Amino acid sequence: MAILSFRSVTKSYTTDGEPVQALRGVSLEVAHGELVGLVGRSGCGKSTLLHLAGAMDFPNSGEVFIDGKLTTGLSDAEQTGVRREKVGFVFQSFQLIHTLTVIENVELPLLLAGKVDARRQALQRLQWVELEGLEERYPHQLSGGQMQRVAIARALVHSPKILLADEPTGNLDTTTGGLILQILLRLTREQQTATVMATHSIEAAAICDTLVRMRDGHIEEITRR
Amino acid sequence: MATLKKSPGADMARLKLFYRMIVRPLLHEPVRLILTVLAVALGVAVVLAIDLAGGAAAGSFHSSMETLAGDNDVEVVASGGVPENVVATLTSLPYALRISPRIEDYAVVGDSKETVPLIGFDLVAEGSKYLSSEGGPSSNINQQSSAEQSVAALSEPTSVWLGASFRKQTGEKIELLLNDQTYLCTVRGVYPDWGDNERAIVMDIAGAQRALRRLGRVDRILIKLPTGASVQDWQNKIKDVLPPGIDVRPEGTATDENRKMLAAFRWNLRLLSYIALIVGAFLIYNTISVSVVRRRAEIGIARALGASRGNVLLAFLGEAACIGLAGALIALPLGLLMAKGAVNLMALTVEALYVSSRPGNIAVTGSTVTLSLLIGVGIAVISALAPASEAMQVTPVDAMGRGRREYVMQTHASKHLLIAFLLGLAALGASRLPPIGGKPVFGYLAAILLIAAAAYAVPTMVSFISSTTSRLLGKLLGVEALLASRSLAASLRRTSVLVAALATAVAMMTSVGIMVGSFRQTVVAWMNDELPADLYIRPAGDPAPDRHPTISSELTDDIARVPGVAAVERLRAYEITYDHMPATLASVDLENLAADQRSDFLSGRTTREVFADLRGENAVIVSEPFAYKHHVKRGDVLALSLGESRASFRVVDVTYDYASERGYVLMDRATMLRYLPDPTPSNLAVFVRPGADPGDVRKKIQEITADHHLLIFSDRDLRTEAIRIFDRTFAITYALETVAVIVAIMGIAGALLALVIDRRRELGLLRFLGASAAQVRKLILVEAGLVGILATIAGSILGYFLSLILVFVINKQSFGWTIHFHWPIAVLLGALTTVYLATLLSGIYPAVLAARVDPLEVIHEE
Repeated sequence: MAILSFRSVTKSYTTDGEPVQALRGVSLEVAHGELVGLVGRSGCGKSTLLHLAGAMDFPNSGEVFIDGKLTTGLSDAEQTGVRREKVGFVFQSFQLIHTLTVIENVELPLLLAGKVDARRQALQRLQWVELEGLEERYPHQLSGGQMQRVAIARALVHSPKILLADEPTGNLDTTTGGLILQILLRLTREQQTATVMATHSIEAAAICDTLVRMRDGHIEEITRR
Repeated sequence: MATLKKSPGADMARLKLFYRMIVRPLLHEPVRLILTVLAVALGVAVVLAIDLAGGAAAGSFHSSMETLAGDNDVEVVASGGVPENVVATLTSLPYALRISPRIEDYAVVGDSKETVPLIGFDLVAEGSKYLSSEGGPSSNINQQSSAEQSVAALSEPTSVWLGASFRKQTGEKIELLLNDQTYLCTVRGVYPDWGDNERAIVMDIAGAQRALRRLGRVDRILIKLPTGASVQDWQNKIKDVLPPGIDVRPEGTATDENRKMLAAFRWNLRLLSYIALIVGAFLIYNTISVSVVRRRAEIGIARALGASRGNVLLAFLGEAACIGLAGALIALPLGLLMAKGAVNLMALTVEALYVSSRPGNIAVTGSTVTLSLLIGVGIAVISALAPASEAMQVTPVDAMGRGRREYVMQTHASKHLLIAFLLGLAALGASRLPPIGGKPVFGYLAAILLIAAAAYAVPTMVSFISSTTSRLLGKLLGVEALLASRSLAASLRRTSVLVAALATAVAMMTSVGIMVGSFRQTVVAWMNDELPADLYIRPAGDPAPDRHPTISSELTDDIARVPGVAAVERLRAYEITYDHMPATLASVDLENLAADQRSDFLSGRTTREVFADLRGENAVIVSEPFAYKHHVKRGDVLALSLGESRASFRVVDVTYDYASERGYVLMDRATMLRYLPDPTPSNLAVFVRPGADPGDVRKKIQEITADHHLLIFSDRDLRTEAIRIFDRTFAITYALETVAVIVAIMGIAGALLALVIDRRRELGLLRFLGASAAQVRKLILVEAGLVGILATIAGSILGYFLSLILVFVINKQSFGWTIHFHWPIAVLLGALTTVYLATLLSGIYPAVLAARVDPLEVIHEE
């Protein structure tokens, strides 16, 4: 059963007064434990699709369902609730908070959601990404790969059903990027998350269960392996 | 060596660049820009307002008297008045001197209760002399009156001439209170005057002498000297024919002396007004620092493209100058408005503590505008020097963001602490140095050094408190508090400047609060000892330290005979000059001295012991301000001019006194009468017999004095009145504090806005990670709250040390008062809570903006 569903979704916005059609009638379903790769040129709509998948934005038409819940019409508080419960984000530029230690960065989503036992879960997620012992370091004391692993641990700390990754290896060298992809794949399988990854990387595309090729806001091709 | 030639149009090109790289980014944040400009405007406006209001409030004493005095060179004066025969002596001199005797006092106008100068001069004799002078009021008086009034009518004590601003016509009646009696006077003529501030009542000198009970004496003799010899030569010639107690001095000396006496008051107020400017300086420093940190990469690019270090320096100084200029331009009308509000308050203080005065006009001149521009642009450029110099040092390869600068600041923490310690030591040293020209220059230097020491210590304090309490705060107040405290510590430089700015304002509030509270408590305790009588009586009308209206002796005797009255103590006061400064000469009736009089003396001796030394002797007690001002101590000998005599008096002790800053000399009434035989007292202290009801006695006194205008106070009334005047005196100080705090709060709001803009990425990320809008708002409010707490802690500590300087150095060196230290806990707690709440409020708008940050937009920008 699909945990994430897009049904005929369109999304447009205005940039410098000019309307931009970011998504045109996109339909897609992602299941538990499935790793989906979004590929295509810059501006093809990959990031917009991720934002809609994370309840960060609403479609102009069509429907987005996250764990069976229609996102259209959600209030700000309900959107926040969806993000707290069901979605984790990984970004290209890691987006760690530099004033917080590694462990504090990881436990942040739990603390924002007012959850107890944040520290224990954060430590466990750091074990998942093999960063034990670096808990008290600050982001600037880590390598790029380590920072992205912290970001993955943070994205998974609240056991989301959907993991959204926007170019997660874009700022890393090939070897480190490969390691990150392996971690993402492993955790997708172990935690049964529905992982959607926007990428330009051939290596990243190669490990995906499903490859969605996008062009000018619509899905050109879906390849399932 | 080749030199770079300046091509035509280079200046225009630079201006374009300046607009694009400096002005345009400023305009992109209009709210923050407006807050910074307004903060500068307020700081400059306060300085301007105090300067303008001080000039107006202090510049008006005796102005109408001086105007009506005409064109004279010297004046003959004596304590207790100049005997009339001196006029004859001077007239008989074989020189072409123009002699103009004057009676000068104050009258209370019956219907308006306004106190107005009353001037008596020889209308017959002087009218003809003044006819040749153009435009003088004397000529108008004479021209209008002579045609219709007989000479006999002139010298009636009920004949008066009024300035046109009274809006009375010739022949109308006006009720005037002179000393303790009311006269229904007839307006004999009207002369043009220059508005309410210059109005005066004119009488013929003979009529004025009778009305004021000054027969045989005049207050001043004005002399117009012939041309030729120097004024000093003429002074010597005239002095030779006068009795030793009578002085000859340049005309207008009293005004100069009054200005000199007021100098410390105005100086202190002026310096207090600079605090808001100092707070503003911190905020400009912060604004330019933010610009430098934000544009570090741009600076690097500009340097790589050929900008010199000088160009970079000038660009950031130019940014500050623009802010300063805009602030100064707004400050001009704002300062004028504030001055209009402040002038009456200052004039009331001048009148209550120093000298009769009426607020003059507020004069905005070219120098006022220049002062405003200089202060505004000057303070902005000076504040921007450090961050602009830092920008100048940026090399293209070094332009790598904020982290490095914060790191540099943290590694310099120990160095900054050392500097803070050394500045503190320097402050301690400066606080022990004597005043210069009666001004506590080193006291203020000590205060500035302390503020600087605090500014250097604040980063370490912020870093220490933030790092040690962030986790605890997180547990207590939630993850937002953890993020807020970490963010403050990470932006150490910015946070420190904000904390220092608000701490300076809080310190000012705390220190002035402690000083005023201590002073108030000291005065209250002093009054408890100094007011032993049951009732106090003085002539009606507004009191002033230089006005001593009298009560008739017969009436005093009647009061002493009222059943239930045990004793009446007669106090007589005169205005004197000692060592070129105004002072009060007073006598107390030691014969009728109350047994429980408990004055405090610096020697620690009892009142009985001290007064025993005084009784019947050529001996005096001096007040503490007098002793401090004139460097007089117990055992010294004072030479005083009394009437026609000049005599020596031994100082038997120095007494604490908080009634007036001008200082007084007190002697036995019997001694004073030997030199100044006028027996009329200025004030009475009435002691009620044990068992008699003071209320009944008061009623009986009111009955027998019904035909006179006297005010009767109980000791409690007097205390209440004194405290009311005290509180009014310091109202302007509170107003200055408030402005400084407002400037700081505006700065914090502006800085928090900048912080929100700079942390958009983090705020957007938090929304991705599940933060609600309310949590983002809370984060910013907690930051504002933390800045408030840190500033309150730093400001309270700094304020305590500043209060020691205010109480024991600046107050002592300015006014000579001994103030006992006292903590006004309730007042301080109330004020600090208000400031803290205001700081929180300043975070509301930035918090709302923070919650509106679009996470998609900011993450997309990355």
